[in-house]
Amino acid sequence: MPDPTTNEYLISLLSRTSLGDRPAFNALYDAAKSKLFAVSLRIVRERHIAEEVLQDSFVKIWHHAADYAAAKSAPMTWMTAIVRNRSLDIVRRPQHEVADHDDFFALNMPDEGPTPPVQLASKRDQAQIVRCMKGLDDEQHKAIALAFFDGLSHSEVAIQLKRPLGTVKTHIRRGLLKLKDCLDGHVNEGAGA
Amino acid sequence: MKLDHPELQSRLAAEYVLGTMHGGARRRFDEYLRHHRGLQAAVARWEAHLTPLAEQIAPINPPSRVWRRIEARINGKIPGNKSPLSTGNLGQNGARSPVLGGLFQSLFFWRGLGMGASTLAMGLLVSIFVGNVMPTHDPMMTAVLEDQGVARMVVEQPKSGMLMVKMVKPWKTAPSNSLQLWVMPKDGPPRSIGIINQDGSTKINMQDLDGMLNDGLAFALSKEPMGGSPTGLPTGMILCKGVIAKMPPKQAPKQQI
Repeated sequence: MPDPTTNEYLISLLSRTSLGDRPAFNALYDAAKSKLFAVSLRIVRERHIAEEVLQDSFVKIWHHAADYAAAKSAPMTWMTAIVRNRSLDIVRRPQHEVADHDDFFALNMPDEGPTPPVQLASKRDQAQIVRCMKGLDDEQHKAIALAFFDGLSHSEVAIQLKRPLGTVKTHIRRGLLKLKDCLDGHVNEGAGA
Repeated sequence: MKLDHPELQSRLAAEYVLGTMHGGARRRFDEYLRHHRGLQAAVARWEAHLTPLAEQIAPINPPSRVWRRIEARINGKIPGNKSPLSTGNLGQNGARSPVLGGLFQSLFFWRGLGMGASTLAMGLLVSIFVGNVMPTHDPMMTAVLEDQGVARMVVEQPKSGMLMVKMVKPWKTAPSNSLQLWVMPKDGPPRSIGIINQDGSTKINMQDLDGMLNDGLAFALSKEPMGGSPTGLPTGMILCKGVIAKMPPKQAPKQQI
């Protein structure tokens, strides 16, 4: 019996799924469903919506399993990103929020950029991000955790933390920058090892 | 500041992945993301960085109806159904040709090939290969690869270490693509057999072929970038596939055809 938690096992199931292997897809669902359901439920907060997110996500995984090979990320990372994106799409629908286009002043005509290689390993990534999160200021940590785990927007985080919107945005922006420095620093260490 | 500025890309990607980007901005970002490789890479990096945090969330079992609904939604469809070869012909209830859909999607198929399928595959094979490219002695294994129930390709192992692949008719693909043949083992990821000719037959000689095919259940042909899959696993659409019929080793009487 293969260990259902290993990357190799999940990668194998994904690649078989890409060839239309229904039992492999079923095994993939069984291996990932409870983690992914919990991720979505935290964000959308209603079970029937989280169920729909899980359905949509696995239908997408079935049709796009072949894309996984190009994603070069750990299989759970790839699937979790699909589930988080779908969950966020739902809670970010217009009826759920007030308009805020601060981030988009700069979105003009995009130019093609280079694509640097992304090479990832799940366990190491997890240890890194946990360590780097611990390095944040308390307020930054709280704001980013609320946004990530609970899918809260800037203004929802502000209400939750009883802080002005601008302050929360700054905390999150600076926190993300600090995370980036920490994570990139770690990546360099890792690459040199 | 322009969108191709790495720092801006990274900042926007971070807010997108974190989820704080608002609806309108999020949808516009999705649009840009579709075509902008720099942004795609920035999002991929942030997903790799942040997503592992989700491991800290305690698992919650979803109800079993979720899987039933997923099954109902994908029923009768196979990945790569964007292929012009596999559009249309899906039944009203998603029912497909029993030969392709049924075999490929049933547990029985993956646990061990049904005799009916073997016999059918052999019958088809014999009729196709008569007096053609195959040696006259009995093959070690054969497979007819189908799409939508239509035979597209035949794979046969005439002897140890050799594989013969023949197209039923030439395949029309863009010249910038390669056709790659895979064997699906009982367990584990598909194994690449190699690139095959698009318009005729291909003879493959491989020293470790028998080992690779030993626990093989099926062959599949995928469309890949020129030169083959860059990852070692199938990345393109599946063009056809078929179960392997193995011949009993000692029971190979000459067939009179």
